[in-house]
Amino acid sequence: MTDEPMTDEPIIETRGLSKRFGGVLAVTEVDFSVAPGQIRTIVGPNGAGKSTFFKLLLGSIRPDQGSIYFKGRDVTGLDPHRRALLGIGVKFQNLAVYEALTVRHNLYLPLRHHHGRRDVAGEISIMLERLKLAGKEDMLAGHLAHGQKQWLAIGMALAMQPKLLLLDEPCAGLGAEETEATVALIRSCNEQGIAAIVVEHDMAFVRQLGAPVTVLHYGRIFAEGSLAEIEQHEDVRRIYLGAAKPRRLRQTLSATEPEKE
Amino acid sequence: MVEGGCGVQNVNRVLDRLLGPLNGPLEPARSLPFWLCFLVVVTLLAVLPNFLSRYELLNFSNIFSNVFLALGLCLIWGYSGILSLGQSAFLGLGGYAYGIVGINFIETHGDTWLALAVGLGFPVLVAAVLGWIMFYGRLKGVYVAILMLVVTLLIETFLNQTAGQGWFIGEAHLGGNNGLGRFSGVVSKPPSLTLSFGESLVIFKGSSLAFYYLVITLGVVAYLGLRWLVNARFGQVLAGIREDPERTEALGYDIRLAQLAVFCLAALLSAISGVLYVSWGNFITPNVFGVFYNILPVIWVAVAGRRSLTAAALGCIGLVWLSQWLALQGDLAFVVLGTILVLAMLLKPEGVLIGLGEAIGRLFDRLGIGRNPRCADDG
Amino acid sequence: MDTLTDVASFLYQYADTIATLVLSAIGLIIIFGMMGVINMAHGEMMMIGAYTTSFSYYAGVPTPIAIALGGLGAALAGVVLERLVVRRFYGQLLSSLVATWGVSLILSQGALLVFGSLIRSVPTPFGSIALGDVSFSIYRLFLFLAGLALILGVWALLRFTRFGLDVRATMQDPTMARALGVDTKRIYAFTFGLGTGLAGLAGGLLALTSTIGPFYGQSYTPQAFITVVVGGGAELISGLLASALSLGAVKTIFTSHYNILMGQVAMLVFALVVIRFMPAGISEWIARRRLRSGRG
Repeated sequence: MTDEPMTDEPIIETRGLSKRFGGVLAVTEVDFSVAPGQIRTIVGPNGAGKSTFFKLLLGSIRPDQGSIYFKGRDVTGLDPHRRALLGIGVKFQNLAVYEALTVRHNLYLPLRHHHGRRDVAGEISIMLERLKLAGKEDMLAGHLAHGQKQWLAIGMALAMQPKLLLLDEPCAGLGAEETEATVALIRSCNEQGIAAIVVEHDMAFVRQLGAPVTVLHYGRIFAEGSLAEIEQHEDVRRIYLGAAKPRRLRQTLSATEPEKE
Repeated sequence: MVEGGCGVQNVNRVLDRLLGPLNGPLEPARSLPFWLCFLVVVTLLAVLPNFLSRYELLNFSNIFSNVFLALGLCLIWGYSGILSLGQSAFLGLGGYAYGIVGINFIETHGDTWLALAVGLGFPVLVAAVLGWIMFYGRLKGVYVAILMLVVTLLIETFLNQTAGQGWFIGEAHLGGNNGLGRFSGVVSKPPSLTLSFGESLVIFKGSSLAFYYLVITLGVVAYLGLRWLVNARFGQVLAGIREDPERTEALGYDIRLAQLAVFCLAALLSAISGVLYVSWGNFITPNVFGVFYNILPVIWVAVAGRRSLTAAALGCIGLVWLSQWLALQGDLAFVVLGTILVLAMLLKPEGVLIGLGEAIGRLFDRLGIGRNPRCADDG
Repeated sequence: MDTLTDVASFLYQYADTIATLVLSAIGLIIIFGMMGVINMAHGEMMMIGAYTTSFSYYAGVPTPIAIALGGLGAALAGVVLERLVVRRFYGQLLSSLVATWGVSLILSQGALLVFGSLIRSVPTPFGSIALGDVSFSIYRLFLFLAGLALILGVWALLRFTRFGLDVRATMQDPTMARALGVDTKRIYAFTFGLGTGLAGLAGGLLALTSTIGPFYGQSYTPQAFITVVVGGGAELISGLLASALSLGAVKTIFTSHYNILMGQVAMLVFALVVIRFMPAGISEWIARRRLRSGRG
């Protein structure tokens, strides 16, 4: 909330974060931080450890070493639902909505934490307006169009009233216009002081968002800086930006991630 | 679209307010005609004993007392995505616990309140321990299903070898495969529910009207209570967990706690069936822990439709009746029930009664008979 | 009784327990490990194997071939079961559990109706050897070797054959495997048939040591389930081995100190402890230890 003093203390910070699966080092000694109200994009080639890093932040897997601090508090050992209640809102990869439940039900679950029984209905209508889903509240979320599902998923994360949004590929499969609208949505949240970490393959989207970028490569932070710096960064260009034309790049990057548990 | 008259609209509005907490997208049976049928059925059940022989009354009471087991399985499997293949274990534990305490204390206490409390409490305790292990260990769904079966089969094996003289709990003799009895010179049986209300004492013997009305009342209360629950916040969270546990956790819900809670509630429902079962027949044997007793509730719920409490309850009543009838026809009963299960799973995976309900709903729509406005708006 | 006999006796019991666990679980764990499906009709597949063995034996077929026929019969039954029922429920694990449980009910009750409650059992071959006052059945020692041989055979099949390659590809990523030209439907049918065939083989092998009836296989399923729960993880073969070795030790100790029931209860309790503290199964846990010690 706004009554918290703005300090330099990062909203989220990791120190020496490492995780391995079997013999593979998925994430290695990552020191990472995002200031309150900042947007940060995480990019990296296939298997760079983006998904693992995302899951570590969210709490669905535990690190082997290192710690995670949220608003200065050590949350390393905390379960995902506790982190969520502290103010981490998540949008998973690939249409993370409850397909078999109604749109209303999808929004009810995140909203119910912060509003009394009576307010929830009102909050749902406000949310529906904002997500351009008014009138569709009794549809099953699975019957929505692709873009609407993405928006619903982001809306569910927003409904958590988070301090930090974790967005895993918010624009996967969206058209140019929808992507633009999504960028606007993320920016508008940011104006309300919500920090966001966006994991994205689509460089067009990364450019539109224009936020500082962290490049992961083989599970380590390879480079970090403003969008312009990263785009000029020779080593980054070498590992994948420069080598491929944007179209090729998108294809390579959006191929299936091998790093499953 | 439904073109109802103004009167119908008003009736709908009033009903919507009245039934709102019980109606929701999570229970398919929610139209106005359904609720009218519900009223008719409850009324029929209330007056039914007038038309029944003593034996039929006894039998109906027995059939209806299984409904709690079915509702419990429906709640965890259909609504929460937790399948247990050993749900009768809680029925058995409830029955045995009730019987053991009842045998020991019926004479000194004069009633069975304590036995009832232990009969309902003990299975819930066991469910809490097992649930803590399974859900807090984040065990996969298939593992939960088969572990529950292993648990119940081991209890059966254990109880089957308790025929010897060493197996007394107080006055109660576990009795191996002869079942629970009392041994103090003469063998006697577990008592019927005997409840004192102030001065008056009611004995719910299996053949009595009191037992019948107890079962019916509890059944209606449990059914309506569960309908309320699944459409309330807890039920919505459960549906979220069923559809996507990880997502629900990230929305700030402690899914392990919710799963544990609903598992215990289902155990309580099974235990109600167990206590009623012992009270009804004054006996219980290790059979209730066996494969057949455990596959039966799965058959009822799977065949009728696991996503609806209404279907589960009706399926239970219908299929228990059918299996009794089949048992009279010869040895084929279980082969037929197994075939019904497999065919239903193949042809109507969402449930036969659900399919039937949808067909009736479509018919009503075509005839222009108003459904619940909330559904009609789906358009 | 001297210590040597005690030790030998314990080892004999241990080997026998491991053999029973491996044999009763191998078919189940293969289907589960590769397809994620728990075949609830597993016990009935063992029953089919035992029945086929018994009928063949009394029709004059030599015992080894009779047992092999048992495996074959169950494998055929498995392929039919996969075609008719299991195939419809890929991706819906709980539903496949329930559907195969229905099949289990039909098969066991059907066998009861057709063949009655007991059929003729096959005599145990080989006789026994005596060590001091205790005599050991040679056939039970043979079963231990047979169990190990089956594990080895399955491992080799998966490791060295084209079929094994296709199976592993399908396990890892069915979509990708299909894109690479693997007929995944056939792979699933074969895998299921392989699993039930092993169950039938185990049923035939174990049939020589016990009475055979319609619920013969069901008496093995609880321990088979426990073995899968403890060993089921990423690693199929090592999981089964680790599970059988640890559960076998627990069961042997508790059975010899108390009784068979306590042995089974101890296995269940052990399984519950394992899943509470090593949710990924014992094989994962071992793999992690190995990794850590390798690094450190």
